[in-house]
Amino acid sequence: MTKVRELIKIDPELCTGCERCKDVCPVNAIFGKKGEPHRVESSRCVFCGQCVQTCSGYSSVLDEPETPRADKLRERGMFESTTEPLFAAYCAGDALEVAAALKTDKFSMVQCAPSVRVAIGEDFGMPAGSLTPGKMAAALRRIGFSRVYDTNFAADLTIMEEGHELLARISTDATLPMFTSCCPAWVRFMEQHYSDLLPHLSSCKSPQQMSGALFKTYGADIDGKAREEIYSVAVMPCTCKKYESARPEMSMDGYRDVDAVITTRELAYLIREAGIDFTSLPDEDFDRPLGTYTGAGNIFGVTGGVMEAALRTAYELVSGEPVPDTDLLFVRGGEGTRTAFITIEDKTFKVAVVAGLKYVAPLLEKVRAGEADVDFVEVMCCPSGCISGGGQPKVLLPTERDEVYMCRRKSIYSHDKDSKIRKSHENPDVQKAYADFLGEPLGHTSHKLLHTTYTKRDI
Amino acid sequence: MSSSLSNFIAADSEKCIGCKLCEIACSQAHSESTAFTVGALTSPILPRLYVVQTPEITVPVQCRHCEDAPCANCCPVSAISRKNGAIIVEKKLCVGCKTCMLACPFGAIELLPVYENGKPIMQPVLCEENESSVDEAPMLFAGKCDLCTDRAKGPACVEICPEKALSLIDPARMKRDRNIKAAMSFLNTSQNFS
Repeated sequence: MTKVRELIKIDPELCTGCERCKDVCPVNAIFGKKGEPHRVESSRCVFCGQCVQTCSGYSSVLDEPETPRADKLRERGMFESTTEPLFAAYCAGDALEVAAALKTDKFSMVQCAPSVRVAIGEDFGMPAGSLTPGKMAAALRRIGFSRVYDTNFAADLTIMEEGHELLARISTDATLPMFTSCCPAWVRFMEQHYSDLLPHLSSCKSPQQMSGALFKTYGADIDGKAREEIYSVAVMPCTCKKYESARPEMSMDGYRDVDAVITTRELAYLIREAGIDFTSLPDEDFDRPLGTYTGAGNIFGVTGGVMEAALRTAYELVSGEPVPDTDLLFVRGGEGTRTAFITIEDKTFKVAVVAGLKYVAPLLEKVRAGEADVDFVEVMCCPSGCISGGGQPKVLLPTERDEVYMCRRKSIYSHDKDSKIRKSHENPDVQKAYADFLGEPLGHTSHKLLHTTYTKRDI
Repeated sequence: MSSSLSNFIAADSEKCIGCKLCEIACSQAHSESTAFTVGALTSPILPRLYVVQTPEITVPVQCRHCEDAPCANCCPVSAISRKNGAIIVEKKLCVGCKTCMLACPFGAIELLPVYENGKPIMQPVLCEENESSVDEAPMLFAGKCDLCTDRAKGPACVEICPEKALSLIDPARMKRDRNIKAAMSFLNTSQNFS
């Protein structure tokens, strides 16, 4: 990518220079004098969107800014019909582009990240953390998507690939610790600040990109379509996923794995624009096979979730026995860093979970010095994981934010608990995908479609 | 009687960073809707205090709950009165005449649209172009700080301010406290002379 897209912006007409965005920026990418409009330095920004969640400088109907609202909406990629108040910090959106593409004769396939289904209801007046996968699938179908698939399927697939990659690294004494690569803001941070440690990153693409790569190959084959006929859309809680999907590494033969990414908030705009009453929608299923998921895939949305899902499968891969307790409470928690041990047969694995990019530097410094006594690390940029992502419904009052995030987290775990299948390797459609198309984890097709490389990036 | 002086909310301009969270919290506290995310809002943000930014100062301005309140005195329909130690506008009585706006020396009153169930309430008004026909215009009322007297946790703006710049002032207590401080200061000063 020659030019970094200016994804996260601050509207100088609305910014009051209060500096609360600076406080939450994990990479010091926001500049400006106190009391004066601030700006985001895109080359430094990891596009996590936490500033978008925090900003409270809004456009008042009592004091309209110079630029007309219609112009601002267009600039932000929002529908003219959208009535919500506009805030100074925002993410330039893609809802208009997706709406236009859905009117063409492309065969559209959509995927939804786990955190979207525990938050989208909030933007339609439902209680915090309302769990609405069925309504979401119904809404996406009514908006016009040809296939309603799910990122959770690819989350299960990620566990298969990443789990095998970790075990392979351990058995061959390859680079350890291995870090997860699902969070694009974290990956960008590594490429910018710790490029010497890039071999520690798992080579797995994120679930979003694995989904996209499968849509245009396996998925296209199932529907008898050519790759170029597929329009692949992802609905994400994350603003940085827009950046990830545009990376040149995330395409094959000139076709992007994911053509467009919209946030949870943008999906709400699309639903409103289509005149759909979200709360009264019936529950519908995701399409198969790329919409089938387990509880393990779903917990990717919270901090510790990737680790827990990976350990449920790794335990069984190593010992041949099911994990004694599916709920691995020791990796669960909140913002900050935590470490834990798990003993599988006679081996003890040490794992670490980091939630919040600002907490990762001490661990990376230890890795650099060769003093990190840990095998596997999950890092997520946002404070509570993807449920608190920059693209999630924006909670108006910071005093309510922790409570709302807790409700979303509970909802993610209860969805896991209520799932019939809770381990990724038991996902029947993942097993079928390996049998019919992918071959085996880390095999030739997997390597080509599901793994990637990383590059040093200058700030 | 000094003990019955109305409370009011005052902000410390040294602390205020102009983030406008107080405005958002105020609007939420006075909203009938339970929406807590931006996307779920069905009416605009309608605060009853106003963050003022000039090159010299940043501070929210709101009603002082005057003892001889000009707004209450001049209201032609008696929609403004003192209740529970605060100057309150009875929304249903207000006709939106703006007299109180003119009278208020702080600019603490704003004519706000009346929203019910997420929609602005409209009212018939005579049409300028055609005297025989009526048009529709949004119904307005004089919105102002009511000290969140109906809110269990007290004023929402005071609670939300990340810089603790806002506080609920009890003038009588403030005066007593300052008297005590002055007395103590006098004591310390007089000890220096002995």
